[in-house]
Amino acid sequence: MSIYKQSVQRPITTLMLFIGLVVLGIYSLTRLPIDFYPELEFPAISVYTVYSGAGAEDIETNVTRVIEDNLNTVSNLKEITSVSRDNISIVSCEFEWGTNMDEAANEIRDALSLAEQVLPDEVEDPAIFKFSSSLMPILVFAVTADESYAALEKILEEKIINPLNRIEGIGAIGTFGAPAREVQVTINPRKMEAYHLTIEQVAAVLNAENLNMPAGHIEMGKLDYPLRVEGEFTESDQVKEIVLANINGKPVYLKDIATVQDTLRDMTIDERINGKKGVRLIIQKQSGANTVKIAREVNKQLPGLARTLPPDIRIEPIFDTSDFITGSINNLSQTLLFALLFVVLVVLFFLGRWRATFIVVITIPISLIVAFIYLYLTGNTINIISLSSLSIAIGMVVDDAIVVLENITKHIERGSRPREAAIYATNEVWLAVIVTTLTVVAVFLPLTLVSGMTGELFKQLGWVVSITVVTSTTVAITLTPMLSSKLLRLRPKKNTTRKLSYDNTVLRVLDWLDGFYEKSLQYALRHKALVLIASLAIFGGTLALIPLMGTEFLPEADQGQLSATVELQTGVRVDETIRIARQIDNYIEQNISEYTLMSTSSGSDDRGGIFSVFMQSGSNIINYNMRLKNIGERDRSVWEIAEDLRSYLKTIPEIVTYTVIPNGGMGGTTDNNVVVEIMGYDLDATSALADTLARRFTGIQGARNIEVSRDPSKPQLRIIPDREKMARYGLTTYNVANQLRNRVEGPYMTKYREEGDEYDIVVRFDEEHRNSISDLESMIITSSRGNTIRLEEVADITETWSPPNIEHKRKQRIITVNITPYKVPLNVLTKNIQAQIDRVEVPSDVQITVGGAVEDMQESMIDLAMLLVLGMVLVYLVMASQFESLRMPFIIMFSIPFAFSGVLLALFITNTTLNLISMVGGVMLVGIVVKNAIVLVDYINLMRDRGNELTEAIAISGRSRLRPVLMTSLTTILGMLPLALSTGEGSEIWSPMGISVIGGLLFSTMVTLILVPVVYHLFIKRIEQKRSRKLIYSFMEETTSENA
Amino acid sequence: MKAIFIVYNHAHTEKVQYLLDKLEIRGFTMWTNVYGRGSVTGDPHMNTHTWPEQNGAVLTIVEDHTVDRVLHYVKIMDEENQEVGIRAFVWEITGGY
Repeated sequence: MSIYKQSVQRPITTLMLFIGLVVLGIYSLTRLPIDFYPELEFPAISVYTVYSGAGAEDIETNVTRVIEDNLNTVSNLKEITSVSRDNISIVSCEFEWGTNMDEAANEIRDALSLAEQVLPDEVEDPAIFKFSSSLMPILVFAVTADESYAALEKILEEKIINPLNRIEGIGAIGTFGAPAREVQVTINPRKMEAYHLTIEQVAAVLNAENLNMPAGHIEMGKLDYPLRVEGEFTESDQVKEIVLANINGKPVYLKDIATVQDTLRDMTIDERINGKKGVRLIIQKQSGANTVKIAREVNKQLPGLARTLPPDIRIEPIFDTSDFITGSINNLSQTLLFALLFVVLVVLFFLGRWRATFIVVITIPISLIVAFIYLYLTGNTINIISLSSLSIAIGMVVDDAIVVLENITKHIERGSRPREAAIYATNEVWLAVIVTTLTVVAVFLPLTLVSGMTGELFKQLGWVVSITVVTSTTVAITLTPMLSSKLLRLRPKKNTTRKLSYDNTVLRVLDWLDGFYEKSLQYALRHKALVLIASLAIFGGTLALIPLMGTEFLPEADQGQLSATVELQTGVRVDETIRIARQIDNYIEQNISEYTLMSTSSGSDDRGGIFSVFMQSGSNIINYNMRLKNIGERDRSVWEIAEDLRSYLKTIPEIVTYTVIPNGGMGGTTDNNVVVEIMGYDLDATSALADTLARRFTGIQGARNIEVSRDPSKPQLRIIPDREKMARYGLTTYNVANQLRNRVEGPYMTKYREEGDEYDIVVRFDEEHRNSISDLESMIITSSRGNTIRLEEVADITETWSPPNIEHKRKQRIITVNITPYKVPLNVLTKNIQAQIDRVEVPSDVQITVGGAVEDMQESMIDLAMLLVLGMVLVYLVMASQFESLRMPFIIMFSIPFAFSGVLLALFITNTTLNLISMVGGVMLVGIVVKNAIVLVDYINLMRDRGNELTEAIAISGRSRLRPVLMTSLTTILGMLPLALSTGEGSEIWSPMGISVIGGLLFSTMVTLILVPVVYHLFIKRIEQKRSRKLIYSFMEETTSENA
Repeated sequence: MKAIFIVYNHAHTEKVQYLLDKLEIRGFTMWTNVYGRGSVTGDPHMNTHTWPEQNGAVLTIVEDHTVDRVLHYVKIMDEENQEVGIRAFVWEITGGY
């Protein structure tokens, strides 16, 4: 019993099965999280090792190199890079995509435990940091305040952060740039010295006084009393009343030598939001949580929470990933609906009957909904890849149903009962339908096997399209016959047709088209050489377009975000940095009206924690984050605005370097840039070379954001102890360093507690006694014997320059120059950069390579080329077995090169670059375009088998198959049209795919209709001639032997 | 008693069944999925890719007076659409058990 017979004979069962499927799909749809990309866990692990007080070069030799050597053996490691900065070593391991990161982390831990034995003792234990996209902030709010500014951190903690933390899926909420309260004890060293006190003694007294301690317990009568000494400060005022010592019977109070202030700590960072003082509130999600849902929940709760705040505190969103995501998803959903509409119209146009159209179109929602079940079961999300996959599939899922329906209609019109026609007509075509689906699957399924980032991106595309087309085939051989048996009726032949009826208008056009095509086909068959030469010329001509086309890795979307980093002279004071920041603020306010929110932070927040990892900071650095108006509401693109800002920053003399990153900042997209890597051991030589190159690159057209990875050397005061002198006083380097640190930074101190919160008590010299070299020199050090010595007596202080960071790649010292293209294709930029490099003299032990997105692109290209070959081989296998012929698939595959011609032509006309997305579109075409040729060739074979002469068979088939070919091609093309035309948020990413598929399919369809029959004719003619010749020979042999 | 052999395109299956019922012909032997080719115009029905259709066949032994009615309806059925195809052949039964 066959499946289609079953489904026609048991319509209720069939209906129930599909309703069940739809219900499951809708259930999945409601449970599916929404995200921008499929979850991409970048396979990288970093190892952070802190070695306080060590310079970049010391870190490099003592820490980084040791760790690198040990990590090198970890399996699946792709590349190891590192940065050695003052105090810290960061070693990053990049793994092959698809590596189990938990195992990798364990291996790294093992390797580190070996390394720790070799590391210097003072080095802190290395910390492992697994990078994941969930660490990227999903929401950033700007909080501004006037009077409440001082208490902002505590207010936010209590009223906003704690309640928000209860939302499911929130990973962490942090504040950045919040003012922190602390108790400052500012010592006047002269007064302190007058009492023969040292800062260490002061600290020790404070530590000893600020104490609560249990002191055992006593039994009195029947009760047991625990004893508790309570000396902890209950008010910050008590600090200054502490008695430090007794001199000549008189107590010395802390207030005698110091001023005590309960205040805000020194701000090394200045946070401004739209020019007002503020704080950034950063929200991260847990891995795998639903970004959009969290954002919605936060945005829902926030207004309520904000009402409990003092009236001068205002909270505004700076950055909301969910905005862009929902924008893109809505946009794509709209695209999908338009595609549906177009497909319905095409089907209606060709069939001219409502019921038939309904039967065909019903396959669309069913097939798409099954894709949601797949997404839900595999823990995926609704994202731009899965949605655009659906958009691609929408035009293809109707094809099978059309073929089946067409045959059923034919039988009904010949007088069969619908029920029987449904069974027998499906029986006739079901195998062919399955085979055409297999060719599509043969191309899309290998997409799931690609490795690397490309693979991660296109895994979903492959699965979604494969699953939807397989579902559509299943629907076509079960539900379509069932519905046809119930809904289709034999139409009585109408004698009096209205003037504007379907039969009188559309049908006439289609009939004319059939005739026209038949005539052109006959002409082409008579002029085969002409057709072949013209085709070759077209193919060659389009190939010649390739050098004219721009390439890039992944198209960039205008996300309406802009971030900029401005760097002043290293070592500049924060105040100066802030002044420049205000100047830039003014410019932006006046000239860049497109911004809706701007946040500036100058200087660095050493308590920023993990967030600091994502941004450059320092007293000389200004960070900008801007949100722009929606795309529809502004004229300039984010790239043009970035260019405007760049041209202004160029005019400020104080600025050393600047980078303006469109769409950048937090949650930024792919880097579409060129990286020039300079490998060499000599720091000075490579730095100089990098600077020369960077200067030369500025002349290249379209080269922006030229950045040298090694920061310029920064000034450093080096204190070189004289060991002989120190020994005389019984001092060690450790002693000296420690005491110096206590005087400048303040010794480690106890904390002041109030209402469950702890605040630092900072004891240090007042600023005017620690801000010059002479102050340092005159600082008093106490030896273990109690002698007091000035620092200058045991050490020399010199000013030197040192590189702040040393980078490694594959354990080699490296310095990179980054270049971002602006309105120039990546390949052109790379070529120009290479030309500049060639002109520079490079020392023999220094190597220069050009990488970056170009490298990724080459990797992906190789992947794609493999994919293309694999797809073609599989398609060939499927077709060869269907036709039981090695030659037929070859004839059919003649349509493939012209698909590529069409892709190139379409990209060229629309001025779209050749990128990963458009190329994937090209690969997909292999499966789509052969479908047309299969339909045609299959029918020609049929006609020949039924006894028609070759040319006649081709003509008949052309006439008969034109409509199905046009119909399936048009549904696919129009299904993708909205994708190609959309201009909304994020459309830049997927429209190239639509453009290339439409171009390729349109062009190859036209070529297929003429060229494939011609090639068929040529091939078969030769075979027939050979055969007849053989026949004659064998006949002649027979007659000669008989004669003999 | 006469034997009628009706051979028809499988698309006619239900109609033939209906015919037999209406004419109150109780006894018959039926073959499904049989192949064949018409002598003059009929396309082959071979269940192949080239000739995908199949036939059904019914052999029934009826009283003489029923034969004309059967042939009459078969003719009507055929004329409704010549392409589908149905034929009936009659011969004499001389004995049986």
